[in-house]
Amino acid sequence: MKANKKKPKKEGEKMTSKKSEKLIDKKGIRLDGRKVDELRPVKMEVGVLPNADGSAYLEQGRNKILVGVYGPKEAHPRHIAQQDRAVIQCRYHMAPFSVDERKSPAPSRRDIELSKVIREALEPAVFLEYYPRTSIQVYIEILQADGGTRCAGITTAALALADAGIPMRDLVVACAAGKAGGKIALDLMDTEDKVGEADVPVAFMPNLNAVTLLQMDGNLSVDEFNTAVDMAIGGCKKLYEIQKEALKSKYVSEGVKEE
Amino acid sequence: MPESERKSGLFVVPGDRLGVIEEFTSGPGTYVEGGTIHSKVTGCTLLDMLNKQVSVYPLVKSATVPQVGSIVTAMVSDVKNKNAVLSIFKVGDKTLSGFFKGMLHISGVSHGYVDNMFNVCKAGDIMKAKVISTENRSFFLSTADNDLGVVHALCSICGHVLQPGNRGMGCSNCGNNERRKTSPDYGKDITREVEQSES
Repeated sequence: MKANKKKPKKEGEKMTSKKSEKLIDKKGIRLDGRKVDELRPVKMEVGVLPNADGSAYLEQGRNKILVGVYGPKEAHPRHIAQQDRAVIQCRYHMAPFSVDERKSPAPSRRDIELSKVIREALEPAVFLEYYPRTSIQVYIEILQADGGTRCAGITTAALALADAGIPMRDLVVACAAGKAGGKIALDLMDTEDKVGEADVPVAFMPNLNAVTLLQMDGNLSVDEFNTAVDMAIGGCKKLYEIQKEALKSKYVSEGVKEE
Repeated sequence: MPESERKSGLFVVPGDRLGVIEEFTSGPGTYVEGGTIHSKVTGCTLLDMLNKQVSVYPLVKSATVPQVGSIVTAMVSDVKNKNAVLSIFKVGDKTLSGFFKGMLHISGVSHGYVDNMFNVCKAGDIMKAKVISTENRSFFLSTADNDLGVVHALCSICGHVLQPGNRGMGCSNCGNNERRKTSPDYGKDITREVEQSES
């Protein structure tokens, strides 16, 4: 529901003094019972769509995300093709039923921007120069949204790219941290994101120790920002282990069957 | 990867550290970044202790694109006097998820002289060809080899499958005679490929 962010934020500001205290209680427990440095329960699955070259499905709390990858295939329209490398065409799309109030299925301003930042977060990880004049298509469908879908989208897309057999420098994994109820917290959910003060999504390549996406929405002091980034990277590392397990559970069992 | 755990057959995902360049050379499925060897695909490690080489055997299907020298299977989509346009749908044994456009120029059809492209192939035929160049925004193909050429063709009058005869290709239904540059594989194991190109 980030599309309607402006309105709730104004209301939120009025309520901040009342509601912020509720976001995190005195014991440091959040609305959904998590601690400040705790991720939502995550489930990842690889290779769920037989018709796509690569695919992955992710549930993170109430987020449900499906990603299909095609390619490398011929780039259309042909003028987008690059002579020396492949292009990634990325579509982030929220299903009309993914939020409380029906969202128009047409790509909104926000969808287009997220498609761009996700593409740019994935590009450094892929060996694009191996497939000149082709395009790799990444379709990210948000089936159900509950905050932090851009991060969850990147994590899922990286799995789908790996499933498609596209050579990659590293998996990309993303996680957000932010400030809600006056405290820095990991992996904000929808309410915390809207009512809370700030949100810092980070995409990270764990083995190369490189950040491929860093945004901030809201205001943080330098110290708070540094804590948030560290916390987000910590979350990324936890998610990375789950990503590896998801790939392993698909391919290792298959490998045994073949033998 | 700690030294004690280094062995063949370990499951790795893209980015996993396999070792450093002082220990191994980087084999297929790996790349070097800042002196460290990483995997670039999902697969199993293979340690060649004799040649001190580490490589990754991929467990995923590999992303395939036509390359210079690869034998491709393609459907003819347009024929002009000196050129034919082909939709490549198979590279080697691997079926692609999409099509790549390929060009077959009359000079690359056979070793001998060919006067007209219409005597080589017609729209709708399935051909085997070799990629000779990927320069200039397109895949350039050649059938100048004995095992390359048309592998499936339909009669341009009635649409029945053509049979190779004494004089070019004959239609068993209407008796029409046509000419093609055929491959010795003509008509063999083709049903599946036709289905794939039509689906």
